[in-house]
Amino acid sequence: MPIKSDLAKRNKDLFSRQPPTWCPGCGLYGILEALKRAAVSLELEPAEIVVVTGIGCHGRFPNYFLSYGFHGLHGRVVPVASGIKMVNPKLKVIGISGDGDAYSIGLNHLLHAARRNSNILIIVPNNRVFALTQGQASPTSPRGFVSISTPFGTVETPLDGLKLALGAGATFIARGFSGEVDHLVSLFKAGLSHSGFALIDVLSPCITYNKINTYDWYKKRIEILPSTEEVANDKEQAWRWLNREDRFVLGILYMEVRDSFEQLILSDSKRAIAHLELHPEKEKVFRLMEKFI
Amino acid sequence: MKIEAIKRAEAIDVSILIGGKAGDGVLFTGNILARLLKRYGWWAVTYRDFPSNIRGEGTQYVIRASLEPIENCREGVDIFLAFDCEAIKKHAPRLNKGALLLCDGADAAILPTSVSSEVVAIAFPLRQPAKEKFGKELYKNMMAIGALSYLLGLEVNPLEDIVRELFFEKKGEAVVETNLKAVYLGYELGQKLIPKNKRWFLPRFTDNRRMILMGDEAVALGALAAGCRFFAAYPICPASEIWQWLAPRIKDFGGVVVQVEDELAALNMAIGAAYAGARAMTATSGPGASLMMEAFSLAGMIETPVVIAHVQRVGPSTGLPTKTQQGDLLQWIFGAHGEFPRIVLAPGSIEECFTFTVSAFNLAEKLQGPVVILLDLDLGQNLRTTHFPLAQDWIIDRGKLLSADEVAKNKEYKRYLITEDGISPRTFPGISGGIHLVESVEHGENGLRSEDPEIRKKMMEKRMRKLLSIAPNLIPPIIFGPPEAEIAVIGVGSTKGPILEALKFLREEGIQAKFFQVRTLWPFPTREVSEFLQGTRQLVIVENNYTGQLLTLLQSQVCFSPNLKVEGLRKYLPDNFTPEEIYRGLKQLCQ
Ligand SMILES: Cc1ncc(C[n+]2csc(CCOP(=O)(O)OP(=O)(O)O)c2C)c(N)n1
Ligand code: SF4
Ligand SMILES: [Mg+2]
Repeated sequence: MPIKSDLAKRNKDLFSRQPPTWCPGCGLYGILEALKRAAVSLELEPAEIVVVTGIGCHGRFPNYFLSYGFHGLHGRVVPVASGIKMVNPKLKVIGISGDGDAYSIGLNHLLHAARRNSNILIIVPNNRVFALTQGQASPTSPRGFVSISTPFGTVETPLDGLKLALGAGATFIARGFSGEVDHLVSLFKAGLSHSGFALIDVLSPCITYNKINTYDWYKKRIEILPSTEEVANDKEQAWRWLNREDRFVLGILYMEVRDSFEQLILSDSKRAIAHLELHPEKEKVFRLMEKFI
Repeated sequence: MKIEAIKRAEAIDVSILIGGKAGDGVLFTGNILARLLKRYGWWAVTYRDFPSNIRGEGTQYVIRASLEPIENCREGVDIFLAFDCEAIKKHAPRLNKGALLLCDGADAAILPTSVSSEVVAIAFPLRQPAKEKFGKELYKNMMAIGALSYLLGLEVNPLEDIVRELFFEKKGEAVVETNLKAVYLGYELGQKLIPKNKRWFLPRFTDNRRMILMGDEAVALGALAAGCRFFAAYPICPASEIWQWLAPRIKDFGGVVVQVEDELAALNMAIGAAYAGARAMTATSGPGASLMMEAFSLAGMIETPVVIAHVQRVGPSTGLPTKTQQGDLLQWIFGAHGEFPRIVLAPGSIEECFTFTVSAFNLAEKLQGPVVILLDLDLGQNLRTTHFPLAQDWIIDRGKLLSADEVAKNKEYKRYLITEDGISPRTFPGISGGIHLVESVEHGENGLRSEDPEIRKKMMEKRMRKLLSIAPNLIPPIIFGPPEAEIAVIGVGSTKGPILEALKFLREEGIQAKFFQVRTLWPFPTREVSEFLQGTRQLVIVENNYTGQLLTLLQSQVCFSPNLKVEGLRKYLPDNFTPEEIYRGLKQLCQ
């Protein structure tokens, strides 16, 4: 276990690596700020956190958030995060995966991790655009979204990752907004404390490539659920919230207690596979070979 | 009678073919027979030819047993058990002189004209009596084994042991009893129907220091022995056996096997597990390998050790999923974007499947990068007899790995520290003082992204240097035959067995040939091949593909002397070479 840091130093700077260079005003700043505060508040140590990111503007997260970091491939945040968690369940494994990363190229993994109830937290900074590649439409872009890739506007229906995850068996789904940092902190704390698969979709303005879903646009359309403390395990209610057309309902929309994948699949979910001392174990291997005699 | 039979035994090598339709239980029957012959102290190998559907199409299974070590089957067949007439039409031309053909459900009269008059064919009812006596056609397989035991002159007790091992634990004594009854019924039918002068009397040797298993199983054993404790994969023929063998056993070693949603997940998950400190692996075949290429490149860039077993089948695309080929020899060498250090090992025997897998894990951690174990279906899925144990000893070498204390001593840990050998000491998440970022974007020593051309140059050189540093640890090639031989053969993987046997045929005719078995396919053993070719006039590259991938690789890595005549002996029919084919091919090419 990592050594606990000096209490006096336990402020959000504990988790600062470098100053961010995202466009000033980008929604990712709010997410970064909220995650640092959540980690401080939960008394986590940088060495016990691993942040896995995909490719996109969100991918730079570990450059700014100080912890173990894994900047991998576009769309493969979830399997990498699951692999890490399975061999070392003591780690807090956080995946940060864009709307393109999580809901387009990597969607398959998301649903299967939800189904398995892998004990990881996936945060989707949902800017409803492919930002890093300079503004193409994403699966969450609003219908009619005009972009360099869709000059006549998108004709597809946008998808909601939370609905898909709920349908696939996720045990924790929540929605936040980059403009509501205090609220995000509470969601992240709950997501980090949840045992099982947690997906938090964060409405996150891209001020450069999405001129429609701006802070002001969202502010008029969000509704924050009163408490994030007690959440009923009520799927019907969750669907109703998710189906609201006039409002984005923010908060923990569904939470359920179910054994995590790691609890079910590991012979000893307290002992990390990553910490096993490896020996040739010749006697044991010979005994297995004898079966072929 | 007995003496004559032993003489005959000395001359053999006996090859038994079981033919039928998928769903007939041909594989089951053949496997038991192969195990039985192994227990009899013979070297048994099998060759399976199966369609990719579960029921209906023709299948064949050949079991060859010999008193000398063998690695492969031959063309000719001495005993042919046909579950239907179609099988006869297809395989009759392979029957040796004096062979015996047993056919279920039909008259011997249906023999096609291609069957030599020197073959004795008899109708041998199996399905019908099975149904009558036991209520199920299925028991025909056990009856067939009984009949073949009589025919081969085998005692029944080792067979009883095998039946018990197969059924007792899972199904109980009653099932064992019924199956044994079926065996005896088959044996009695044999006594009644098989001409006495067609019987064999295989002598029994007590040698329990041998095992019989598939290459896939040896890879799985090697993985456990090497300390692999995390395995993620997506089902695919012919690699699934690796995982199926590991799945129930890895728990005893504290590890875990996961069935994931696709091959992208499989390799990325294994990389995640390896990054976090486990020895991790995945296994696949061509289609899955194509999906893994992006993550393969990731492992190279972030310098994470991971092992991939690739069991080749026929491509392109879905190809022939249950047939063998060496059509992906270059996939892991030149596939994937960008340049990064990688290692491709190609075992050619069951023992090598085991030892190379152990080496793969050690090499991966020393290199801090991806290592591929490249098999093909022939090696992966056929049974072969080999010595017990697969290796007397092996080591686990985790390369440059820092302990938590050593990390703590570091003032500033740099994951990609530039070192003379290119290898940077590694640590895992969870350890204070070791905090770092692994970065798929080009990066500096501290893992932070950088587009500085100088840093790019240094990092590229650092990564590529690692391959040179670990060169002394790579698995060297083996050379068989006299150095002065006129004919030189180069091959890789499962062609090893048939090549060596073909060389034996040539030797019997006074023709000397030598064979270079490529065992590390990448980095290519350029120096060793050049030395091997010194003074040689005639080189034949034997490989199971159309375009000559091994030859292409050689041409790119070795400078051939202008006096050297280079030929390719290729086969892209969906099965491995027989030794006879290689023998004929070499004679023709090297006249
Ligand atoms: C396999 C692959 N295809 C395409 C790309 C190019 N690419 C990089 S980022 C990106 C989209 C990113 O969108 P999103 O995940 O929403 O991240 P954002 O930049 O909006 O944070 C694409 C298509 C890539 N890196 N890898
Ligand atoms: S392009 Fe958009 S998402 Fe990317 S940093 Fe700028 S504002 Fe943020
Ligand atoms: Mg986006």
